[in-house]
Amino acid sequence: MNEQRRFGEDDHGPLQPDDILAQAIGQWREELPTRDLWSGIESRLEARATTTRRVTFTFTISQLAIAASLLIAVAAGVTWLATNRSAGTGGAANGGEVIQAYTTGAPEAAGGQIVPANFADAQFNAAVTDLERILREERGRLDPRTVLILERNLKAIDDAINEARMALESDPANPFLNSHLADARRRKLDLLRHATELASTGGD
Amino acid sequence: MPVDDVVLATQGDTAAFERVYRAHLPRIFNLARRMAGPDAAEELTQDVFVRAWQKLALFRGESSFATWLHRLAVNVIIERFRTLGTARERFLADGEAVLEIAPAAPTRHVDLSMDLQAAIAQLPDGARQVFVLHDVEGYKHEEIGNLLGVSPGTSKSQLHRARQTLRGLLLKKKALAETDGRN
Repeated sequence: MNEQRRFGEDDHGPLQPDDILAQAIGQWREELPTRDLWSGIESRLEARATTTRRVTFTFTISQLAIAASLLIAVAAGVTWLATNRSAGTGGAANGGEVIQAYTTGAPEAAGGQIVPANFADAQFNAAVTDLERILREERGRLDPRTVLILERNLKAIDDAINEARMALESDPANPFLNSHLADARRRKLDLLRHATELASTGGD
Repeated sequence: MPVDDVVLATQGDTAAFERVYRAHLPRIFNLARRMAGPDAAEELTQDVFVRAWQKLALFRGESSFATWLHRLAVNVIIERFRTLGTARERFLADGEAVLEIAPAAPTRHVDLSMDLQAAIAQLPDGARQVFVLHDVEGYKHEEIGNLLGVSPGTSKSQLHRARQTLRGLLLKKKALAETDGRN
């Protein structure tokens, strides 16, 4: 067993080529399953697809009408909020007002003029900066695992935003890319807003 | 495999996902076989691909798809062991005796790979995972520590002991075969 003795306590680095273990690993052949596994996998994929389809087709006209009404109500509320705040402050115009009002209730808005929430760069950046500041101040109240998940999700959304921006540079009128960018920005704002709400309630 | 198949699968194309599965099956199946043993390998392989289908939307192309899938597979396999609990001790204790391997019919040709498969099956789950991840799959101790929820030091000591155990078993088998060859 001389071969065995030459390995000391620090035997946790790469294996040497003349090591019997390295030789055994080198001879380790690849094998394939004894049966076809795909049918079992496919049945589990289809189950998920069926569930998804069922959910998709359960919307009725009346449900859609209710959803549309709700959307109109929310839009009206946002408009009302923006109008009231701008009337109250007569504030400075900075292009980020509507989204800030929508997301955080920031006090300033353009002098009486409603700016559509089109998620343009300036508006979006202002809203995000505001929410990120709040989150920085409050993040100590969140569970570290929640913070980790949050940061991962934010990074994924940021990546999506950057990809869409880069793609739009070469195809600025592409409706899909524009929609994708707006959607990613909306998701980022939603996530930040939920995170700040969670932090403000101490993660409850 | 064309990269497009991953994109199509992300959009819900199961035919494209089957091509992805066929292309990556050998690697994933053998990973499962080595980490969990031949009995559990097929079911685990199915679990890995079902999980991959569910998580495809999260694949953002920051690493190669093969790397992403491999990491996902390792996590699925480790999760399975956590779910099953610790019916056996997970790791080798200090000073634990070298495990005995069941004697096989001696042959002139020493098939080390068959012996290794039999030998690692006798290691505790945690020690086997450390050995396979480090020496076969090329993971670093810090990565293994994160995956298994242990310190890098534990990963190193487990690897050392697993190697000692496996070398002992292989050398014994080799000596038996050589003795038989001379007779």
